Amino acid sequence: MAGARSSLGYLKPYRRAVAGGVVMMVATNLCSAGMLTYLGRGVQAVHDGRVSDVPRDVVMLIAFAAATAVTRILSRVWIFNAARAAEYDLRSDLFGHLMTLSPGYYRDHPTGDVMSRLTNDVQTVRAMWGAGAVHLANAITAFGTVLTLMLMLDPTVAVLSIIPYPLIFVTGQALSKRVYRTTREVQAELGTLSSRIQEDLGAIQVIKTYGLEELRRKGFLAGSQRLLDKNMAAALVRVQLGPILNTLAPLGVAILILVGGRAVIHHDIGVGYYTEFGALLGRLVWPTLTLGFMLALVQRGRASWSRLVELQQTRTDLADSSEPPLAASAQPARVEVRELSVHIGGRAILDRVSFELAPGTVTAIVGRTGSGKSTLVEALCRLIEIPPDAIFVDGRDITRIPLASLRAQIGYAPQEAFLFSTTIADNIAMGYGGGTAIPAARARELERAGAIAAAIDLSGEPKVTAAAVAAGLTRDLAVMPDGLGTIVGERGITLSGGQRQRVALARGMAAMPRLLVLDDSLSSVDAETEQLILGHLRAVMSGRTAVLISHRVAAIKDADQILVIDQGQIVERGSHDELIAAGGLYGELYRTQLQSELGVTRKEAV
Amino acid sequence: MAAVAPAGPIGPVGPRRSGLEAEAVLGKAYDIRLMRRLARYVRPHTALLVGWVALMGVRTSFELAQPAFIAYVLQHHILGGAIDVLPLDALGYVGLVIGQNLTSFCEQWLVQLAGQRTMHDLRISIFDHVLGQRAAFFDRIPVGRLMTRMTNDIENLNEMFAQGAITIIGDVLKAVAIMAIMLVWDRELALMTFVTLPLLFVIVEYARRAMRTSFRQIRVRLAAMNGFAQEHLFGIRVVQLLGRGRIAQREYNEINAGHRDAYLLQIRADAGMYALVEAIGYIAIGGVMWWAAGHRLIPLGAGQSATQTAATIALIVGFIEYINRFFEPIRDLSAKYAVMQGAMAASERIFQLLDTDERDGDAGDTDATKPEWSELGEGPTKRQLSGPAVELAGVHFSYGAEPVLRGVDVRVIRGSTIAMVGATGSGKSTVIKLLTRLYERDRGAIRIDGVDVRDIPLAELRRRITVVSQDVILFAGTLEDNITLGKPYTREQMETAIRRVGLDRALARRGTGLDTRVAERGANFSAGERQLVAFARALLRDPEILVLDEATAHVDPEAEELIEKGVAELMKGRTTLVIAHRLSTIRNADLIVVMDKGQVIEQGKHDELIARGGFYAALERTFRRQTADPA
Repeated sequence: MAGARSSLGYLKPYRRAVAGGVVMMVATNLCSAGMLTYLGRGVQAVHDGRVSDVPRDVVMLIAFAAATAVTRILSRVWIFNAARAAEYDLRSDLFGHLMTLSPGYYRDHPTGDVMSRLTNDVQTVRAMWGAGAVHLANAITAFGTVLTLMLMLDPTVAVLSIIPYPLIFVTGQALSKRVYRTTREVQAELGTLSSRIQEDLGAIQVIKTYGLEELRRKGFLAGSQRLLDKNMAAALVRVQLGPILNTLAPLGVAILILVGGRAVIHHDIGVGYYTEFGALLGRLVWPTLTLGFMLALVQRGRASWSRLVELQQTRTDLADSSEPPLAASAQPARVEVRELSVHIGGRAILDRVSFELAPGTVTAIVGRTGSGKSTLVEALCRLIEIPPDAIFVDGRDITRIPLASLRAQIGYAPQEAFLFSTTIADNIAMGYGGGTAIPAARARELERAGAIAAAIDLSGEPKVTAAAVAAGLTRDLAVMPDGLGTIVGERGITLSGGQRQRVALARGMAAMPRLLVLDDSLSSVDAETEQLILGHLRAVMSGRTAVLISHRVAAIKDADQILVIDQGQIVERGSHDELIAAGGLYGELYRTQLQSELGVTRKEAV
Repeated sequence: MAAVAPAGPIGPVGPRRSGLEAEAVLGKAYDIRLMRRLARYVRPHTALLVGWVALMGVRTSFELAQPAFIAYVLQHHILGGAIDVLPLDALGYVGLVIGQNLTSFCEQWLVQLAGQRTMHDLRISIFDHVLGQRAAFFDRIPVGRLMTRMTNDIENLNEMFAQGAITIIGDVLKAVAIMAIMLVWDRELALMTFVTLPLLFVIVEYARRAMRTSFRQIRVRLAAMNGFAQEHLFGIRVVQLLGRGRIAQREYNEINAGHRDAYLLQIRADAGMYALVEAIGYIAIGGVMWWAAGHRLIPLGAGQSATQTAATIALIVGFIEYINRFFEPIRDLSAKYAVMQGAMAASERIFQLLDTDERDGDAGDTDATKPEWSELGEGPTKRQLSGPAVELAGVHFSYGAEPVLRGVDVRVIRGSTIAMVGATGSGKSTVIKLLTRLYERDRGAIRIDGVDVRDIPLAELRRRITVVSQDVILFAGTLEDNITLGKPYTREQMETAIRRVGLDRALARRGTGLDTRVAERGANFSAGERQLVAFARALLRDPEILVLDEATAHVDPEAEELIEKGVAELMKGRTTLVIAHRLSTIRNADLIVVMDKGQVIEQGKHDELIARGGFYAALERTFRRQTADPA
């Protein structure tokens, strides 16, 4: 990674292509100058009646035109390709880095912001490398050659007729800044309108049942009108740009008519030179225009680059350990938590929590929303930073176990079941390190099927099918078009909340982990299916240590121990019967929360 | 989703298409069918467009007068030695330039205005279309996709105006005009110039095809790359727990490389087209010079006069200028082409959404002049006030193939409270969705005051029934906005409602009143406070029928007490249907309806059901034994 160094570090591997491109660009401008020289000579020859000279001039003109085209193509292709290649490297580095940042970072930085860096900022930097480099180099060489040529033809006419050009440059730069600013304002307004649409779509049932369509429409109308106004303000600047610059540029031609025309009449220059002057002035217009834009582009590119450097320099707050990994073992894990305290944002989320998970036992954790249950589970998987000597797995402090080794021991099924947009089989196989987030169909569509080697059909993989059965997916899979090969998410079928949770559960179980953590992972599953899964789960959990967070009595009442957490502390512990008999917080939670799902009670009642 | 992205939009149909989604839709740069549909939205702004076209003509005249002017000045004044006229000539030229650019400014402004206004109208149309859809529509189509249609796609379409790509029309006009001028000026020379046109056509066509392919690839791969990144950032916890960081980067790079390579063709095509078109321009210029020198000078032989030479030079210079102006827009064609193609693809997606219509089937007789229901209430002849307030008879309903309700019969007496009890998925919530017609029942009848809900205009139906759900949604704005929901109530009415449901105490703690700011989704209000706001809302609406989905979420005991008081106030003397979770609510109900697997398995008063010793009795026993609830 280039780190804080200039972004040009990324172009270094492609310096030969860039250098070649710049050389070609100089050649382009020289050829183009030659082309115009012979244009002028041709006209002069016609004027002087040297008809026999004209064919030679024309042949030279065409030869130079062809050379201009070839060199121009080469310079553009080489430089733009180099910029794209460097963009690839930058993107790859950034994405790899983002994958190492802790979940804590993403809590503070919305995904949208991070995505915007990975997309918009990278694009801006690439534009600086590609378009910026091409046009800047072009402008410089164009001015160099054209000015030299003009000065050689006639210094007076040259100096006078390029008077408007600095003006074009200054105006172009000022206007492009205004374009940029007004465009930003449009983007901001668009963001506001998007939030509003999101709010409305999220509240669609309320809007319908309360008959709020007209009210919300009025608000949307106003928002859309504001966007229209901002867009028109931006349009006003954009619409000025062309006409103003296109008025300034021909001033050079007007001056040429005046000064050059006089020079022709006084026989200071020939009519061929006059024509050549006109053509040369025309060739300066585009580089002058782009110079203004490109300076703005480079400024923006540098701002984006500094944002990327900032992102690149963010280090994960989870220090990985370089000590040896956990010893391989088929035995269930033994976990010990000693006086674990976790503070987030100055608030104690967990306060001196101690307990032990004996190998092969099931521990249930209950508590109200916000009591610290999920933080405890995150601490166990070391998704958040914890103090040393607080959690031990097989007698080793987990802060001194390499993260990958620790997490490989744990099968985790969260409540917010997150699935990748790939096949169900791939999602499950990810539990044991298999599977791919790019399903075969997608790889074919991207026309890189050969390269994406991992895109193989896992529907028949025994580890996958066994986990799917254990998670109670059999019936659901039977009605899906491609069974385990069905793609989930935006481009595939939409799974219900319960189905998603069960696929995530299957993923957790496919790992055959030594420690299985179920974080309220059956909350969206209906009671009947839950019973089925709990049946399978008992079989799966035997021979493993398990931690279970749930609101449901049926799920937790058979646990070996139940820990009740309140305000970051373990307030009660024991078996279901012991805790009910004690009549404490567990009893109360049981009444108000656990029983709210009457379906569960029904199973007990009948 | 099938309806949103039908299997066969335009473009080649083949095996590769399967699985392709919205962003892969590849429009032509000009699609007549889409343009015609767009025209419907542009039509209200016809006056602007007429002005635009008129100015286009004026601007083109100013512009195309310039080469002729330059040639004229060269021929008659410069080569004619008329030194005194030169300042006037320079001024005249500047005048033409200013005229061109002033008109150009107005012309562009008009087209921007027409474009922006059209986009505004289109945005509103989509919004209305989407909001008019049945609830089932939103179950199928992800919110993200709807958002993209209303924001990004509209912006992409707008680029057609914003980037001036729409001026392709003007460019074609200009090209035709230039050809006409050249033909009139010197037919042979003009035809000689046009010899290069087939070559030009071949190059442009090749580049167009290359770009078409390349844009499709770029769009698909860019979407895939960003989708992949977004998904992995969103699921970073899972990515890390599964130790997939390295694998993810490898996979990302596969798509990243595809994205990079997709540009290779585009870069080549773009550079090639620009450079070759420029070169052909100069070849044409060379040809003109050669021809002019050979055919316009030679016949005159050595005796050619100065005036004839001047005319020939003016001819050459004029043709050079015209050829340059002819080739210039063609050089920029690729950029405009990209914009047009993006715009067409966006409009294709927008129209697909507009074609997906699952509108609420409203009672046919709805019209704006319908009296408010409170006025209707004064004509009691219309309703059987003796019958049940709400009646469900043999109601069946299924989501897709899965039956949810299988013959439900419920009668709610006016002014009574009925409690619905049952497991998650037993169909309680569905009953409410059918009653308010968020969904349509498959079979059976649902009547309010003896009138089928399908015969009651939706607006009226939803005015008469107010649903308070457990997940209260607040809108960004003020508390007042959230309580009144846009209806005019007096300050006194609002304050009374707030007091009656006990929201005043919560507000007193904050030290704010009706002007309290509400953050997006009510994030700055606790669950309990949100409940109270919903109660105040409902109280102000004063509905005939109240439907209450009792909250299961645990709130602190003080809030719990407040909420219970608020609910009692709300239910007073009103026909109420409660999806009950609290034993106290269930016990005090006039009727308890126990649901299981989409059917009513028991109903009656608390005591009756206990005496019957069925399911409810067993349920209640468990409750009592395990909680010793004194209620």
